Amino acid sequence: MTEATLILVLVIGTALAFDFTNGFHDTGNAMATSIATGALRPKVAVALSATLNLVGAFLSVEVALTVTNAVVKVQDSSGAPRPELTADHGYALLLIILAGLVGGVLWNLLTWLIGLPSSSSHALFGGLIGATIAGLGTAGVNWNGDGSELDGVVGEVILPAVMSPVVAGAVAAVGTWLVFRITAGVAERFTERGFRWGQIGSASLVSLAHGTNDAQKTMGVITLALIAGGHWSDTGAVPFWVKLSCALAIALGTYLGGWRIIRTLGKGLVEISSPQGMAAEASSAAVILASSHLGFALSTTHVATGSILGSGVGKPGAQVRWGIAGRMVAAWLITLPAAGLVGAAMWWLGHLLGGYAGPLVVFAVLVALAAYMYRRSQAQPVHPGNVNDEWDGTPATARREEVAA
Amino acid sequence: MRENLGFALEGAWQVLAVGLLLGAGLPAVFALGIRSLAWGTGGAAEVAADARPHPVGRVLAGLCFLVVVAGIAGGLYVILAAGGIA
Repeated sequence: MTEATLILVLVIGTALAFDFTNGFHDTGNAMATSIATGALRPKVAVALSATLNLVGAFLSVEVALTVTNAVVKVQDSSGAPRPELTADHGYALLLIILAGLVGGVLWNLLTWLIGLPSSSSHALFGGLIGATIAGLGTAGVNWNGDGSELDGVVGEVILPAVMSPVVAGAVAAVGTWLVFRITAGVAERFTERGFRWGQIGSASLVSLAHGTNDAQKTMGVITLALIAGGHWSDTGAVPFWVKLSCALAIALGTYLGGWRIIRTLGKGLVEISSPQGMAAEASSAAVILASSHLGFALSTTHVATGSILGSGVGKPGAQVRWGIAGRMVAAWLITLPAAGLVGAAMWWLGHLLGGYAGPLVVFAVLVALAAYMYRRSQAQPVHPGNVNDEWDGTPATARREEVAA
Repeated sequence: MRENLGFALEGAWQVLAVGLLLGAGLPAVFALGIRSLAWGTGGAAEVAADARPHPVGRVLAGLCFLVVVAGIAGGLYVILAAGGIA
């Protein structure tokens, strides 16, 4: 196996691992409210969401090959890698991508461990930006685009992150307020049953939209790596096996269920009832679909969190735990630089060692840190059995025996 | 930077408008459907437990749910169109 083949294999493996973390990191965006209100049993909710993500990933036939162009300059506008990076079977480019992906995966795992819903796309972009700065300097980053459209780190990442939670929160607050206003005087057990159906429907729409949006990003990254390595040349299509493996990875991740994050979103922010859950998911679905229809990039995590907060603001007398919301916003702010730092460090490590050793050591660091964080998570597991326990920061008792039930 | 901010603000208004119409409007219509259904069912469905059933409430509820289903179909169309299928 040549050096270039080795690094290509590692890039593909890491990209699929990222897609998998993307899945379980974001299950809560669609399903946390349905799980918290009991509209769906936890296992049923993640199975439904996983299926819809799988279907959604296949619906995204639009070529996502230029996904990295939003933040870094390693491709031209057709999606082909820049020629100066493809010497030596693309080793230079592949090292940047590998380091960036490792940054994204590690940040996703760390935020999952502490139960914070941060954006997977920000983690990926942050990692790629960091690795690009390390490898090509700051000129390799597309900060602002060329001014002809919403583009660059500012236009495609930072501004949407500031605006989308506010917009989604406002919509959800108005929706929740209207719903409670309209159904005042109707017996609660009657409304709960009706709104559970509304919740399931709107959450399903969010899951489907998530599959179409997020799986594409990994497909684009893997295809870029294949082109750089000289194993694919069509910039107008994604190989079928790439599409299939990405779809499966995100669906499996979703099915695993990021219970720690689901718990924070469903129980931590707001004590949620079915009408609020429906209003929140309807807001998320509308904002995500309207944005993607108008061609704006955004993170489903930011939208979903904004919506859930909004549903707390809109319900008369509801309590919103602003402390938790503040921690989330802090996590969002540092996602990009933190994943970037990891990405940059990984590039330097890989570049310093070079050859076979560089990418292998980078990958080994990823595996070691991932295993460490997984072990840490087992000290205080969150699972379908305790995901809905009363909120006091973390579930008090880890009732393992309920996993089997 | 200036251009991006302008584009983003413009986009945010559009998304907010569509979001309010569909993301808040449809749940409100759905709630109206539930309210009509409770009015149509009468009895224990409403807090005033002696309420009589009103058959027309069920018809109204059906209309509301129809509007919601049409909205969801619209959402699906957007997803499919973005994928180049519809």
